[in-house]
Amino acid sequence: MTALQIRIIDGDTVTDRDMNADELAVYEAIQDDAKAEAKAQADKATAKQAVLDRLGITADEAALLLG
Amino acid sequence: MGANAQTSVPLFVANSVLTAAQQNISAATGVPVFATTVTRDAAFGGSNKVLAEGQLCYLESTDIVQYYTGAAWATVGPATSGALVRVGGGALSSTSTTFSNVFSATYDNYFFSISNLTSSSAGTITMIFGATATGYTWVSNRVTVSGGAANNATGSATTSFRMSGSVDTNPVALTGYFMNPFLAARTVYTSQDLTLLTDLGNNNGVLANTTSYTAFTISTSAGNLGGTMNIYGLALS
Repeated sequence: MTALQIRIIDGDTVTDRDMNADELAVYEAIQDDAKAEAKAQADKATAKQAVLDRLGITADEAALLLG
Repeated sequence: MGANAQTSVPLFVANSVLTAAQQNISAATGVPVFATTVTRDAAFGGSNKVLAEGQLCYLESTDIVQYYTGAAWATVGPATSGALVRVGGGALSSTSTTFSNVFSATYDNYFFSISNLTSSSAGTITMIFGATATGYTWVSNRVTVSGGAANNATGSATTSFRMSGSVDTNPVALTGYFMNPFLAARTVYTSQDLTLLTDLGNNNGVLANTTSYTAFTISTSAGNLGGTMNIYGLALS
């Protein structure tokens, strides 16, 4: 597997290299967080659609009712 | 004192001997370079060149070019009291890009812009300060273009600030502010979130610590970053 890369910009000095263990751990923690948030959003959208289906209306129609 | 800094501006008269050291000063510095205003003022007059209107100099202590009006030194630029001074930036690349040594005691708050922001694979853009990966609390206020319904998202004590929705190879732009990153105070972040065609809004966040930061890192959740970021300090007065 190709190592993830990081660019370091310090003034005019630019360094491209593989992420070190600490940087990789932070990056993976962020991605785990993002995946959990995406799943929560998807679950919320699924639940919302289920309600719309039960009511037999579209999201736009629901927005009209709530607007 | 830098290699080009000088402590005198020699005045030559008939039959004076021009030394190599004197010639090197002249050749190395089209505009005389001084460490401070003190060494600048000491370098003129007496046996040296008379200070007169039109004289230029560069000051290492404040990184400015000045001219003498005949009565006082005035700054050509960059104006140290400018409202917006670029403190860092460059081309985004790789999965993550770190900007080092951009925050300092000179400024409390910073404006940033990212132009032509892309991710080679569709990904969410996130950011952290220093190496901190905890305590990021944020709210993403977004409204769907179709129907105008709210499509908000929040994060409490998460691992990063979210800067955008999904970004892909279609270039987008972001602007925003970092507040207090160097101060021993909570760091605050705000930006537009204009990266999606389906919903638009803004992001706001606070980092729950009082750590002083000099650097930050931007990442994409997939692929590699593209675009150009610039960071500007906002003058304190």
